[in-house]
Amino acid sequence: MADAAVVGAGMTEFGVHDTTLQELFGEAAFAALDDAGVEADALDALYFGNAMGGQTENETHLGPRVASHIGAAGLPVQRFEDACATSANAFKNAVQAVDAGVHDIVLVGGVERCTPVTGKETPEMTRIFASASHRQYEQPTGLTFPGVFALLTKRHMHEHGTTEEQLAAVAVKNHAHGTHNPRAHFGKETTVEEVLEGPVVADPFRLMDCCPFSDGASAVVVVGGDLADSFDAPVDVGGVGHATDVVPLGDKADLTATQAARDAASEAYEEAGITAGDADFAEVHDCFTGAEVLASEAIGFAPDGEGGTYAAEGRTSLSGDRPVNPSGGLKAKGHPIGATGTAQIVELTEQIRGTAGERQVTDSEVGVAHNLGGDAATTVVSVLEAHS
Amino acid sequence: MSDLSYDEWADAVREGRLLGLACSCGHTNGSPTAACPHCGSRDLERVDLPTEGVVHTETTIQVPPATFETRGYQVVVVEVGDARVMGRVEGDEVDIGDRVTLAGTIAEDDDHPAPVFEAR
Repeated sequence: MADAAVVGAGMTEFGVHDTTLQELFGEAAFAALDDAGVEADALDALYFGNAMGGQTENETHLGPRVASHIGAAGLPVQRFEDACATSANAFKNAVQAVDAGVHDIVLVGGVERCTPVTGKETPEMTRIFASASHRQYEQPTGLTFPGVFALLTKRHMHEHGTTEEQLAAVAVKNHAHGTHNPRAHFGKETTVEEVLEGPVVADPFRLMDCCPFSDGASAVVVVGGDLADSFDAPVDVGGVGHATDVVPLGDKADLTATQAARDAASEAYEEAGITAGDADFAEVHDCFTGAEVLASEAIGFAPDGEGGTYAAEGRTSLSGDRPVNPSGGLKAKGHPIGATGTAQIVELTEQIRGTAGERQVTDSEVGVAHNLGGDAATTVVSVLEAHS
Repeated sequence: MSDLSYDEWADAVREGRLLGLACSCGHTNGSPTAACPHCGSRDLERVDLPTEGVVHTETTIQVPPATFETRGYQVVVVEVGDARVMGRVEGDEVDIGDRVTLAGTIAEDDDHPAPVFEAR
């Protein structure tokens, strides 16, 4: 088990924010610090994630700027960029630093703006997102990120018989969960019929199979295990795994395995001393409905080939036996790229504390977060557990 | 280190050829790397890949990125011999398992060529 604990968690609403990046991050950071009951002067370091600020808003070297904004200038700040897995990688490095005794108490978080408040409309933002695919061997085809996951999902449909109705069931489930999350970008339910009538983005994905462009920020306070008991509501870090897979996607050994997720999950479960069956719920990277199907299989929440069936049968719903994305996931909660990884850690923390309100998973002592970046090229899997 | 650069691969695509790298581990790479991405060997053999193959997966993109003017184009991953290559399809749409043949290139993206396939 990792010798680390999450002792504070906070996030903004995900949605549209006509607010500067540092102000948005500050809102999440102070929520996390207040939740932990500490001030910025208690921090030893900041682990910060922002994936695309240089491309979207002409803003780079954000680390010292956000640190200054929250009254923490002078701290060592490391900034992470791993496409959509940006702040999960920041979390991994923070956990390893306190586990190793390099730091005692650190702030981890991320911020991103992806909506038209950046001045970038859908075609331009689609191109910026596509920069996380291979510049020479993928982008020249006109590939987009819905396209990346469409290629993986179509292969899964071919090999396992996954259907468009099963994909729609993932969207219906996550929208239903999102109605219980006051910070979700989308707060209304949908139906399989409504999903299947939407305009096609990249087949098999229609509009409602896709997560939105969102703005938002999230943050957590991480401490060494020996300090956990001096805080009100610590949640233990069981383990964190991190792996990459071959890019471009055509050269991956298996397009439906999302092997990096399998490797990261194995590493995290081994460190935590658990198997997938011991986990009570998971937050997975459902940037598209098909991505949740692949993810739930890769982390062992559904047998290979049955991720779609599990969703359609309600087994991955809040009331099912293998709950996935109680927060509403990226699909309903929203996906401000660099904030998504630590937002999953926020959800795990609240679920394990038992403070998730109407979206509370029953008996939620062990939670798994799966945060994926690029064309299934990076995945970080984290296991959080009730404090022992 | 392998002796296949991106520029050589791209020039070959423009000439109607697909170049790959074969490794003694059994993997053949459809795009140049300095070493085998699966086993790390730098002892890779440059190979001419077949220009006919089978569709491994496909999608048709209706919301393109900026710089791509026309929506509704099909992107495929094609099995060419022991390797896979990503490209476009022109003409009739194809399904997984269909046979396709290399039919040209597109260069809509800053002169970066992409192979174009068509149904056989």
